[in-house]
Amino acid sequence: MFDLFSDIFTYRDNALTRIDPRAKLLIALAALIAVVTAERIVLPLAVLAFCLGAVAILRIPAKLVACRLAAPLSIVAVLVVIQTFVTGKTPLFAFTFAGWQFTAKAEGLRQGTLLGAHVLGAVSVVFLLSVVTPAHRIFQALRWFRISRNWLEIAILMYRYIFVLMDRVADLAAAQRLRLGYTARGRALRSFTTLAGATIIHSLEQAQRTHDAMRLRGYRGTMPFGPLPPLGRRDRLILVSCLIGIAAAYGLLEWGVSG
Amino acid sequence: MGGKRMKAIEVTGVHFTYDDGTEALSGVDFHVSEGEFVAILGSNGSGKTTLIGLLVGLLKAKTGRISIGEREIGNLSAEELYQRVGLVFQNPNDQLFAATVEEDVAFGPRNLNLPEAEVERRVTEALAAVAALPLRCRAIHHLSFGEQKRVSLAGVMAMRPSVLILDEPTAGLDPAGEAQMMQLLKKLNREEGLTVILATHSVDMLPLFANRIYVLDHGRVLQEGPSEEIFCHQEMIVRAKLRLPYVSRLMYEMKRHDGVPIDGLPLTIGEARVQLLELIPKELIIAELEEKKT
Repeated sequence: MFDLFSDIFTYRDNALTRIDPRAKLLIALAALIAVVTAERIVLPLAVLAFCLGAVAILRIPAKLVACRLAAPLSIVAVLVVIQTFVTGKTPLFAFTFAGWQFTAKAEGLRQGTLLGAHVLGAVSVVFLLSVVTPAHRIFQALRWFRISRNWLEIAILMYRYIFVLMDRVADLAAAQRLRLGYTARGRALRSFTTLAGATIIHSLEQAQRTHDAMRLRGYRGTMPFGPLPPLGRRDRLILVSCLIGIAAAYGLLEWGVSG
Repeated sequence: MGGKRMKAIEVTGVHFTYDDGTEALSGVDFHVSEGEFVAILGSNGSGKTTLIGLLVGLLKAKTGRISIGEREIGNLSAEELYQRVGLVFQNPNDQLFAATVEEDVAFGPRNLNLPEAEVERRVTEALAAVAALPLRCRAIHHLSFGEQKRVSLAGVMAMRPSVLILDEPTAGLDPAGEAQMMQLLKKLNREEGLTVILATHSVDMLPLFANRIYVLDHGRVLQEGPSEEIFCHQEMIVRAKLRLPYVSRLMYEMKRHDGVPIDGLPLTIGEARVQLLELIPKELIIAELEEKKT
């Protein structure tokens, strides 16, 4: 669980971490639009390959990549299976299971694969962004895009206290495990529900204490934010180049190949 | 010490009862002068945290009077109050809510609507005061517990309060961190002139730092005075579920059980060393023997 939220790689010094987060956010947004609107499988897969290549070059551990991609991969698997057996007319193969007849169809498989490619391409973009940009810098960039201050404030507090609550949950779970709380299925379920309840109570208490601490330092309902420096020349150049690159790739892979 | 000092905080006849009927404070009188280092000593449930809550306006006293400087607490706006009194929480996680150290320390000054250059200056000064300048750009969740404690202190310092209140400032710290934190508080008190009030049940370091100690038990002040006066009341200390500093306990036991003629009750290792050296024959002290040889 801790690997899933780990952000230690974002503090490494490399070519991608040095780029201004506003530029990275705009590039990621353009890549996401390109992936989601693609009507052919090639562009999303190319984006996936590019992002995974970049992640490999940055030497992000495979375990972390697998951990973060596990959930979207399972979504993709479900999508492909459902689409294959529900959508389309041209049969590919058929089988019977528990008295039910299942027929896979070519159109459904194509549609499912395209949707899956959209998901994987989009997730890989977000994943690459998350391993080269600390969350607080993404929040700073979002301020530049005039995202609601209240929304940002909640996001910042949530991000900050995820780690605090995770530590607490880990301690509570360890304490339960050490007293055999997870040795049988029924007992494990009871322990888990107790853990969930305790976490909610902890989070409410934490919220109260944090609110007190904020009040003592002048909080009056809005979190103040500092100014943001203008986007540098180098970052503007990177931004424009990447946007042109994404547009060119879109044109070439979506319209160019078929002619 | 100089002439008569102004009152920084004055609490008179304060009673406080929680909604569930628990009487946390009953008739507490408490005063602190500007530039003093005062400790509120008490066991768990003695009323320390409630008293702190009242001093910073998080709780409201049912009866009694609380003044900050010359003004009653109820007549101060939040902005005025929190520029006079700052509270450092026991658990730094309660207090560090921004993503980075810099943003967290800047939170208070920005709430005061100060110009950005002034915010920047206050952040640098506060971080420098707690020896945390190298942590400036770090994410809060990457800091060690000791670092978090210092950064939470910096966050309060950036508000420039004249009174600094700390709830168990050494709780959870290792011995080196504990000593570092106490030295830091001493420096802020002696060099920057900050009035320091700390609530604790840890007695060993207090004689080195505190000008005065209030002993609280079941919501009442049992005793008030300088540490040498407080710790000579052995019965009162036991009644408050506290103990003597370890070095004093050793000297007390040597005096009581072994009849060692110890004058008064030393509270620090330095005092105890001086007394013991007076009692040990000079010919048994190796350093002196070696000095004679040379």
